[in-house]
Formats: sequence, C-alpha cells, structure tokens
Amino acid sequence: MEAADLIQVLTPQQARRLRVIENLLRGKKTVSTLYWGQRYQLLPLIGLDKTLDRGALDAAAQSLVTGGLATLDEENDQLRLTPAGVIAAQRDYYQPQMADQWIQLDLMAARQRILLAVQVVSEYTHATRRYYPLTTDLVTRQAVRAWFQRVKSAQLGKQILHVLMHALEQLPEEVATVTTSLLTGYQHPGLTREQVAQAHQRTAWEVTLMQLDGLMQICQDARVTETPFTSLLRSLWQSPVTRSAQLTLAAVRQTGDLDQVAAQRRIKLSTVREHLLEAAIFLPLSDFPYGRILTLELCQLFDKNLTGAIDDWQYTNLPNDLQQQYDFFYFRLYAIWIEKGGALVDGRTNSEP
Amino acid sequence: MEELTASLKRVFGFEKFRTGQAETLHDLEAGQDVLAVLPTGAGKTLIYQLYGYRHPGCVLIVSPLLSLMNDQVDRMRMAGFRRVAAINSLTGRDERQAILRHLKDYQFLFMSPEMLSQPTMLSQLRRVNLSLLVIDEAHCIVQWGPDFRPEYLLLGAIREKLGMPRTLMLTATAGKTTRQEIAHQLRCQPQVVATSVDRPNIFLDVEGVGDGNEKQARLAELVGKLPGPGIVYFSSKQLASDMALWLQSQTGKIVAAYHAGLDSDSRFKIQQQYMAGQLDLICATSAFGMGVDKNDVRYVIHYHLPADMESYAQEIGRAGRDGDPSLAVLLYAPGDEQLPLMLGQANRPTAVTVHEYYARPEAFDDADPGVHLLVFYRNHGISEEAVSRLFTRRERERNRALAQMLSYVREPQCLRQNWLKAFDEHGVHSDKCCAPKAVALDLATLGLRQTTMATGTRNETAWRDQLRQLF
Repeated sequence: MEAADLIQVLTPQQARRLRVIENLLRGKKTVSTLYWGQRYQLLPLIGLDKTLDRGALDAAAQSLVTGGLATLDEENDQLRLTPAGVIAAQRDYYQPQMADQWIQLDLMAARQRILLAVQVVSEYTHATRRYYPLTTDLVTRQAVRAWFQRVKSAQLGKQILHVLMHALEQLPEEVATVTTSLLTGYQHPGLTREQVAQAHQRTAWEVTLMQLDGLMQICQDARVTETPFTSLLRSLWQSPVTRSAQLTLAAVRQTGDLDQVAAQRRIKLSTVREHLLEAAIFLPLSDFPYGRILTLELCQLFDKNLTGAIDDWQYTNLPNDLQQQYDFFYFRLYAIWIEKGGALVDGRTNSEP
Repeated sequence: MEELTASLKRVFGFEKFRTGQAETLHDLEAGQDVLAVLPTGAGKTLIYQLYGYRHPGCVLIVSPLLSLMNDQVDRMRMAGFRRVAAINSLTGRDERQAILRHLKDYQFLFMSPEMLSQPTMLSQLRRVNLSLLVIDEAHCIVQWGPDFRPEYLLLGAIREKLGMPRTLMLTATAGKTTRQEIAHQLRCQPQVVATSVDRPNIFLDVEGVGDGNEKQARLAELVGKLPGPGIVYFSSKQLASDMALWLQSQTGKIVAAYHAGLDSDSRFKIQQQYMAGQLDLICATSAFGMGVDKNDVRYVIHYHLPADMESYAQEIGRAGRDGDPSLAVLLYAPGDEQLPLMLGQANRPTAVTVHEYYARPEAFDDADPGVHLLVFYRNHGISEEAVSRLFTRRERERNRALAQMLSYVREPQCLRQNWLKAFDEHGVHSDKCCAPKAVALDLATLGLRQTTMATGTRNETAWRDQLRQLF
C-alpha cells in the first residue's frame, strides 16, 4: 500500500488508527483490530498482505501528512483526511465490487490454487512436460496435484477456458484484463503486479484489488454451479468466525452462562468473551444471541449513559458503579449490538427472541 | 558399476561430459573430496545429480540463497528426479514435518546453512545414509561467513558431526586464497578440479566518468546502443528499481528490476520473462544470476564497484555463455570505492563494541545485525580475542580484495591479464580483449549480434485472446 492507496481507506469524519489498518492487512485477528476494522468498514482487508512488515505503512501515512492531505493525532496513530485530502481521494481509483464476499472464503489460498491450477492445465494442454511451476506452499501443491489427477481429461483445457471467460465476462473490461495479465501458463510467464500497474496507470495495490475481484468471481461461479474449480475450492469456503469461536458461541447459545461455558470448554472466561466479540463482529444481528448476554437492564443503563457517536464512547467515562457492575466486554458488545441495528423499542430490545 | 558415460547417456541423454565434470566424478568415486572451480554454465549440478543416481543414499546440498534453492528443486524435478526436497526458513512447519518424516526416502535434499546448524536437524540427518555432501557456491563461506552469515563457519564442524561424508565443494570463482580458506573451513584436503576463469568471448571495458550524473547518462547511452539482452548490476535495491523505470523511459527498451526486496511471485515472473526473451534488460542486485539459465546475455554493466574480483567474475560470467561476442563494462567515478567500503563495514562491530559486548552482553540488543553476530560467536564459545582477531583479519581481507578490484579499474595495459592474475592465471593481451580506462570503447568493432527477442509480447493482447493462447 502506498500513500495513494492509504488515502482511499481514510475519511474526514472518522479518525482511523494506522495500526488497525496495518494489523488488518497482516491478518492479526485481535478483538480490538476486528472491532475497529468493522467500525471503519474495512474488514475485507483482513489478511490481504500477511508479509507486510510492522510499521510498513508509516511512510505512506507520513507522506499524506506532509502533503497536507491528512492529519495525525499527537500519538502519531489516528489519521483523518483534510479537505485537500478529500479532493485528492476523489481521483479515479478502483473500488472493489465484491469485497463483502472476500471474507467468505480463504481468498489468499484460493488465489494460490487457481493460479497454479491454471498454469498446470495450460502446460498440460500444450503437452509441455518440463516447466517451472509457480512457487507455492506444500498444501497448495498437494491440493492442486490431487485435483488435477481427479479432473484431468482431454477436455480440461477447454473447460477451464470457458470457466475463466464466463467469470471475467461479468466484470469490467479492465478487471478482466488485469486478472488475465497476472496469470502464468504456456509461453506466458505473466506480468508482475508492478508491470500491470504501470501499464494501466494504477497502483500495485489497485491491481491486487482487481485481481481479487476477478478471482472472487471465479470462486463464486464455482460455488453456484459445478465447474472444474468447484472441487478445488470446496474446502476453502469458511465462516470468517474461527472454529474455536464458533464452538464457544454454540455453547453459549445452549447455556447462556459464560462461566459455565469456560469450565465446559476448559478455556478462560476472557477467552470466552473474546470469542463472543469476534463472532458478534462478523455475524448479522439475528445470528448472535445478544438477548442471552445483554440483559434489558444493561441495555437501559447503557442507553442512558452512552450518547453521541459510537466511536467517541469511552468505557472509562461511564459512572464508576456501572464500570464495577459491567466489565469492558459488555460495553464493547453493546456497541456492536447498536452498530448492527440493535435498539430499545417500547422498553424491550429488538433482538430478544 | 557402469561407465560414467553410460550413466550420462542413460540419465541425461548426453554423449559427452563438459570440461571438468568427468574429472570431478572420477575423483569423487575414487574416494576423494573435491573442490570444483568450474565456470557458470559448465554444468556443476549435473555432477552431483549423476553421483546421486549412481550411489545409494542421499545427496545433501547446502545452498546459500533461499530463492535459488526452490529453483534448484524445481529444476531437479524437471530433469526427472522426483525424490527431492528443500528445507529452509521459508519452508512451512507442516511441510518441514512432512519432509522430516520421510527423510530417508529422499535422494536429494537441499538445506540452508542456518537450518543445517540446528542441533535437532543435525541429529535427524545423522540417521540418514549420506552418499555425498555438496557445498554449493562454496565461495560464500569466505565472502559471507565471518560477518554476514556466520553459520557458514560451522560447516566444518557439521561435516565432522555427519561422519565426514564425501564432500564436493562447488564454485564458479575461487582464487588461491579462497580455495585455501574453503578447504580450511571445511577441514579437508580436497582435490582441486579447476578450469580457467577466462572467457575469451567477453570483451572487458572499464570506463571512467566524472560523477554520478555523467555515469547515469553514459549508462543510458550504452543501454540505448547495445544489443540485448543485458544485465546492469547495482549495489542498492532502490537504485535498481528506480533505474529500471528511468532506463525504460529513456531508451524505450523493456526493462525490469530484480532484487531480494521483490515478492517471490515477482521474482519468479521477471526471471521467466527474461529467460523467455521478453525483457531487454534486468536492473539487478547481486541477488540475480545464480541459477539463471540464459545463454545469450550480450552484456553486463556494473554501475557500482563490486567488493572483490570474485564477485565481479561471477557476475560478468553471466554474459556470452553461448560463446558469442559479449561485453562487460565497469563504470567508475572517483570515490566509488567508498560504497563497498561502507557496505563491508556495515555489519562488522568495532573493537570497542566487541569489548563492551563481552563485558556486558545483556546490555545489547540482539536485533542489531552486528550484535547478532557477536551473540552467535559468544554462544559458540569463541573468545573476545578470537573474535577481534577474526574481524581484524576480515577487514584486512576485504581491504585487500577491494584494492585488487581498484587495481583492475586503474589497470593501464590489459584488463584481462589483470583479471586473470587475481586467479593466479596468465593471459595474453590482444587488440580484441579489452579497453582499459584510458582507451575508448569502440562498439562497432566488437561484433555484438542482436539476439532475436520475443518482442511484442508485452503489447497488450486483448484478454480473451490471451486466455485462448493459454489453453
């Protein structure tokens, strides 16, 4: 991400923490990162650049500040766009079309698998036996090898061509072009992100965003109808909620008592709470048992004491007795509930079963 | 056992060995350790491949570059060797476990020195029947060992712990001192198989420029005039990237940068594009080259002064492997020696630091590369005096190497003779061999032939057509 990309994930209204954006990209799924990622509506960025170094966005942030496009708070962390920044951010920049779907599968693994599969099939179609395979991890190699043995046929090349055509036809021409340019296959090493970016007058990050949209379309097609890629990608579809958090959530649904769940699952109470917050962040209002945790009394008390914009709420500003009574966890969960559309209606919460 | 040539024919389909290959194999099979100093492109890999084919057990190859290691594994698989694996810091945990579980089944195993020096790894390997230990790019022991990757200095001890397996040391360039140092570090007395480093088809040129601006302008001029493909070497990643863009805009040629700062996908693609003839020029750091199979590189230009003649010989050796006329240019501006001096000192702690560290090791931050080195030495029981001596000797050695490089730059008569002298060889000067600093380069007389390039591949083909071409 360069300054031109960073500016696109900032706003003039909401001060955004650089460290949160960095941790999202690096795939650090702490509750705090996830919570703020949701507040910034940037959760689709999760894990898109796992090799990013800590502090790697600092230079980009600094250049926005120096250019008068953004301001940084005293702690050098919270960024906010200036009026000049708002104008600068209005340039022609690629806005991902399918970002809300990205977190429905392990998109980085899907990318590795599709790219290697395309190369293998392309070389196979041209009867090449000696070529340099793309460098991937063992799991990808094994998955693609097993898949290829399963689906190998004289028709496979044609089928894959059809699948790719069909997927990319549904997208803007530029996205189709970019996605194709990055592919590797027979007598076609493929272009690097930087080369594509240069050719299209885009940033390397925009090229990545386009490629992810292109690949997401291929994945979606393989999900709704049977294509040769369906079995290659099947195991990658997943809930963004971790397996462990899902188990905790199921246990809470049954008992409603967090201490009991902690004992039963042999995890700490704090871990139970982290799991619940993670699940609440990712799931829609109706899929989380708010009513079992946020009592009516709690909601009424918080409703009375927490006013103004959610981002400005401070746990430490709550009256002491309320802090004594309710842990930070309830405060955070209440904020998520409100954000997701939870409300008090006629003295009842709208999420009660 | 069948004749070596019969194995060669059976495995690779070749009738004849290239220079040095048969001799090395004979010596190994006669029970000798061998240091083979063979030029790039001489087919060093074939030696241990064939040895592995002819002898039961596992060939363990210690290889310096992570990116190169994966290339080597791929290449082995392409050549039909299936039981091959690599373990290095990039290998995922699951993959490493899987390899370790089947360690005895591998015919070829690639490993970084760092991985090999881990006690657990070593004890696993001791249970494997090693037919041969290969130290690839063995000059790295000398170039990198003391102040960059000290694990190289453990190779001798590791070799002993592995039961002194038959050992093959491979390098493209090693003068007398380097050869001695390699043998000393590995605690062996190898048979040396060496061919001349001379590459008569490479014309040597040193050009003096006034300053950085002049150098940049001359580079653009050369790149504009010279038939590709070529390589320009820089000492900085950033400059390699910046100059790639600049040269492309200045000359209209298709240029890409290659260095360790790129992600592995980009490195893979650039290397493949270059080999497929889709790039005119690579602007690279020393990370580019080892393992690149390209015979028709017409020129290599050095923008910065290399640290020693061995690196220089390695890098210019990538030109003209097809035997056709090629060119090696070294651009020099007064003061250029400051950069290699500075880079050489970057990691090396001063005598004062060494002393203070040994007095109070806990007060130092391990994350600092210099301190990291000291931690390494102290953990291996090396005394302060010994470390100080090591660094002093290292500094002297580096200064000597740089002085030799500068003598090449300042050579008034014959660059080839100067170059060969560094490798204890003699050369004969001819009017077609070189242009020292005071002699102007006359491109027209060099007979550089334009290599046919797969031009047009970078023209934007409509994506639908591109997809059709893939399948």
